[in-house]
Amino acid sequence: MNNTWGDVAQYDPVTWNWIIAIYLFMAGLSAGSLLIGLGLRWWSNTDDKSESAILKAAALIAPVAICIGLACLVFDLTKPFHFWLILINYNFESVMAIGVAVLLFYIPLTFAYALMVLRDELAQWKLGFLTPIATMLLPWRKPIELVMFVLALGVGAYTGFLLSAMNAYPMLNTAVLPALFLVSGLSAGAAANTLVALLMFNSNGHEPHMKTMHGMELPVVFAEMTFIFMLFCALYFKGGAAAMALASLTTGVWAVVFWVGVVAIGFGIPLLSMLMPAHSRHTKGAMVTVACASLAGVLALRHFIIYAGQSYIS
Amino acid sequence: MSQRYVIVHDENKCIGCQACSVACRSENNVPDGVSRLQVHIQGPFGEAPNLHFKYHRMSCQQCENAPCVTVCPTGAAYIGDDGIVSIKPEKCVGCMYCVAACPYKVRFMNPETKVADKCNFCKDTRLARGEQPACVDVCPTDALVFGDTNDNNSQVAKMLLQRANYQDSTHLGTKPRVYRIPTKKGGIVS
Amino acid sequence: MPGSLAALEKGDLKGVSADYVASICEMCSTRCPISARVVDGKNVFIGGNKEAKAFGGKVCARGGAGHSMLYDPQRIVKPLRRVGERGEGKWQEISWDEAYEMMATNLNDIKQKHGAEAVAFSSKSGSLSGHLFHLAKAFGSPNTFTHATTCPGAYVIAAKAIFGTKLKRDLGNSKYIINFGHNLYEGINMSETRGMMKAQMDKGAKLVVFEPRFSIVADKADEWYAIRPGTDVAVALAMCHVLIEDNLYDKAFVAQYVEGFDEFAKEVKAYTPEWAETISDVPAADIRRITHEYAACAPHACVDFGHRATFTTEEFEMRRALYAANILIGNIERKGGIYLGKKAPAYNKFAGEAVAPVLAKPGVKNLPKITAKRIDQVDEQFSMVWSSGGVYQSILDATLEAVPYQLRGWVMSRTNPMQTMTDRNRVVEAMLKLDFIAVCDVYISETAAYADLILPESTYLERDEEIADKSGKNPGYYVRQRVVEVIGDTKPSWQIFKEAGEAMGLGQYFPWQNMETLQLMQVNKDHQLLKQIKDLGFVTYGQPLMLREPSMVSKFAATYSNAREMDEDGTYGSALSFKTPSGKIELSSTKVEKMAPGRGVIRYRPVELKQADELYFIQGKVAVHTNAGSQNVPMLSQLMSDNAVWIHPVTAGALGIQHGDAITLTSSVGTEKGQALVTPGIRQDTVFAYMGFGSKNKELARAVGKGVHCGNLLPHKTSPVTGMNVHTTGVKLAKA
Repeated sequence: MNNTWGDVAQYDPVTWNWIIAIYLFMAGLSAGSLLIGLGLRWWSNTDDKSESAILKAAALIAPVAICIGLACLVFDLTKPFHFWLILINYNFESVMAIGVAVLLFYIPLTFAYALMVLRDELAQWKLGFLTPIATMLLPWRKPIELVMFVLALGVGAYTGFLLSAMNAYPMLNTAVLPALFLVSGLSAGAAANTLVALLMFNSNGHEPHMKTMHGMELPVVFAEMTFIFMLFCALYFKGGAAAMALASLTTGVWAVVFWVGVVAIGFGIPLLSMLMPAHSRHTKGAMVTVACASLAGVLALRHFIIYAGQSYIS
Repeated sequence: MSQRYVIVHDENKCIGCQACSVACRSENNVPDGVSRLQVHIQGPFGEAPNLHFKYHRMSCQQCENAPCVTVCPTGAAYIGDDGIVSIKPEKCVGCMYCVAACPYKVRFMNPETKVADKCNFCKDTRLARGEQPACVDVCPTDALVFGDTNDNNSQVAKMLLQRANYQDSTHLGTKPRVYRIPTKKGGIVS
Repeated sequence: MPGSLAALEKGDLKGVSADYVASICEMCSTRCPISARVVDGKNVFIGGNKEAKAFGGKVCARGGAGHSMLYDPQRIVKPLRRVGERGEGKWQEISWDEAYEMMATNLNDIKQKHGAEAVAFSSKSGSLSGHLFHLAKAFGSPNTFTHATTCPGAYVIAAKAIFGTKLKRDLGNSKYIINFGHNLYEGINMSETRGMMKAQMDKGAKLVVFEPRFSIVADKADEWYAIRPGTDVAVALAMCHVLIEDNLYDKAFVAQYVEGFDEFAKEVKAYTPEWAETISDVPAADIRRITHEYAACAPHACVDFGHRATFTTEEFEMRRALYAANILIGNIERKGGIYLGKKAPAYNKFAGEAVAPVLAKPGVKNLPKITAKRIDQVDEQFSMVWSSGGVYQSILDATLEAVPYQLRGWVMSRTNPMQTMTDRNRVVEAMLKLDFIAVCDVYISETAAYADLILPESTYLERDEEIADKSGKNPGYYVRQRVVEVIGDTKPSWQIFKEAGEAMGLGQYFPWQNMETLQLMQVNKDHQLLKQIKDLGFVTYGQPLMLREPSMVSKFAATYSNAREMDEDGTYGSALSFKTPSGKIELSSTKVEKMAPGRGVIRYRPVELKQADELYFIQGKVAVHTNAGSQNVPMLSQLMSDNAVWIHPVTAGALGIQHGDAITLTSSVGTEKGQALVTPGIRQDTVFAYMGFGSKNKELARAVGKGVHCGNLLPHKTSPVTGMNVHTTGVKLAKA
């Protein structure tokens, strides 16, 4: 039968596009780098006098990444100049509303924390006028760190819950997705911390924090791979429309994005780099390459999940 | 909930003529390129000469358990007292979460108002005037029946008791209130 | 684009009333009663008029979308004069005075030099044609044409031959309906479409469909047979054969009402179901069984005699064979069968009182006497067509070959022969040859694109018109009223033709001032009656009456004290007579034999519709468009703008054609590019496309170049007696 009912573009199941994928990536990155930065700080019990390059990187990345992400989100709204409506109206059944509430506290704290950690750099960046604020905040550092850690966990997982709340999409509507997003956020955070620490704060691969963080890479990647494997297993065992979504691994452009972007670049390059001799592995060039590969892999994963996830509807 | 409005779409009587779709567009000023309602004629399925078409109404299912309402961050999407899934345009920021979350893909962003839009059984226009929804009013073959199932004497209440019917994607727990009477090839349905 | 609405500033629609206004639709020829209301000054909601019970107060997509023409930027709202070559698309805005002046000068000039008959007038049927043809008469030309021979003419002519008049179907009360591709579920005729659905779904009627493609009506059928195109006549004759040979026919009815039965019975003796199977691919056993089932439901059963499209040159025999299958079961004037319309005068006579008012005709006296013969009047076999709109395509013969004489001018109103007539090139050729062409339309249609003068008509939603008869089983009237104020510099066609007549010096033949005075003339100045008809929009009088249906007749007789007395059998059967020479139903006709020797008795003649290496090319109507008229209407164009061609998977496979591929269809007269729609819902030897697409003029910006232009593929061929334009041909299919 000919189409006698007109335009069907609106029924395209892919509603959210690459802009949202970037937002999800940025939110995960912000949370991930902060979690790693704080974790390392607590783990290694360093004093407050000198900040490690990793922590500086994390303190810088957290506010910047979340702001870039939010800018993407706001300008993807059909009414971007009415975004404030979302700040005054809350439906707490909605994951997005909970996310907004979390971000409302998270974002100011990331800025506050950046001032504290980067207080010595402020003058250098012609932001010296902010130093008094940083000094004023310092006594509150411990509680701020604690609250922020919890909120960062929330932000990292929330981007996954945002998608998994949509029960029409079998690939998105899984319990694993928030965990996967949190872990891949850590992976991205670690990579970004490495990059910024190396390139902005003149760190090197032999710094103790850097080593610790490097040591975490392998378990994080394995966790990521496990969660992805679990995600597809869940689809497979669920059968029906869910199992149909497995076709995303074998057909179309998103299969390529998955195998090349997520697997080959995102997992392959970092894992292969571990086989390199330690001295060459810890060169700046190698570390930058591996970090970039990790970031690209996580970005590819977000795109794959957004597009392939929405393409299969039950 | 004081009322429980439903629409019953009899796929035996539906001829896919799109009169409903046009009436809806006219009554509700639905802009070009988007639709609150379409009837898709799918197929033919089967093997000749035993072929058949499927007449599938694409419109808001007025879910009792509406994913669009759950996900809406601002509460712009809500279920009214009449059970109709509705939108407060002044609260909508256009995040498209509802559009993405709708399992039936029947919500869309209105290109003129920039607000999420969809069928609301002509609640603001025709129901307010005591008329039937536009699609029901014009349907040439009486394939659509609208009414309140809380009223046991309504035609819809009786129909749903007496006629075999189904709803779309009930496995998602949405409890849609667009009921469909399936085609029973052979024309005559008891 | 000069003269278009786009050139005007867009304002709000001004509704005539804040409430619903009752009126009449004009989106197709069915002309359903509607009720419309302006929505926020932007749209018009158009629904059915609830007063019209048979129409159910319903409206189809075409009817509902009519308002989108109102504010379509591509609509013409100023008179236009051609400034380039014909068809070149260069136009200049002119005033109405200049337009009338141009019309008067050109037409009077032709009249002076060659006689008034050298100008042809053609119009879509309806109130438009009434006013245009009145102008033609005042002008002195006998050459008036409707679109009938390109659309619904044949069933009317065949009915005239047999019954002396047109008949109606009572599908709503049928228990068994046999349908030969009358696609009532896409070519929606509201009362019949509703009737058939009601019969099928609510009353359990059985529907059998013979059609080469799996249409919507085929889908809704209990049985569908993919009959070979153009062989319906064989199956219908075989059914008549079974009815007679198996003694299933209504002998009493035939004895009382039918003339020429014996000749017919003798002829159909040879037309066995086995014979029909070899021609039509419908299994003989099924034809037998279906005929027996059909006869078992007699008289509340019906073989639908169809509507549009002439499948073959044997159209006359085919339609008559379909009527014959009805006559044989005696379903005339019976519930579920076929019947004659009951207009006020006849109905009142039965009732013995003035149940329904009788409308007056605003007779204009002293119209000039026309002595010239119509151009289609040379061939006597078409004599039944002359009063039913004429053989439309004879305009082409008269223009191109001066047969029987040379035409020089053509005035058209809302007709689009460039799409509906066969062989588009020939229409172009004819239009290029004429001295003067004026077209009255809402858009620059494909045909209007070749005019010298375009007269912008107000749409039906902006027009008041005279009261029209809509009688069915009882008398009824309805009226068109404007819903919104006129947009731009357009005028209703009755006013255009009146004012043009005045400019042509024919003012004395237009004695009415305006539509109100014309309406008052109709109701004999009964203001109250006029108000009632306008308020309700649709009025019926009395109760349904079918002369041979005892339940209806007894109820009727009980209602009216002076009613005609019932016959012994409780019917008005004795009052049933026909306007044929014998006063009976002429199954075989000496009149027809005289007109067209050899055709007095219904007979099968083989036809060749295609070459062996070709596919049948057939067309049909879709629910969202009206053949050649609606492809540029914004809301309808959005629903469907292209007519992908139906091709069977086996046929497509052999040519390596995939769904969605570009294809070409080539016939003896043209080649068209289109898109493949591969579907099992079509015979392997047939391709199908919906009519009216593939416009070739740039002025119809939404429709131009979209889809296959059917008229460009069909060779020019006229069917005997009915004068119908044949719409089936052979085509070669190829991957583009």
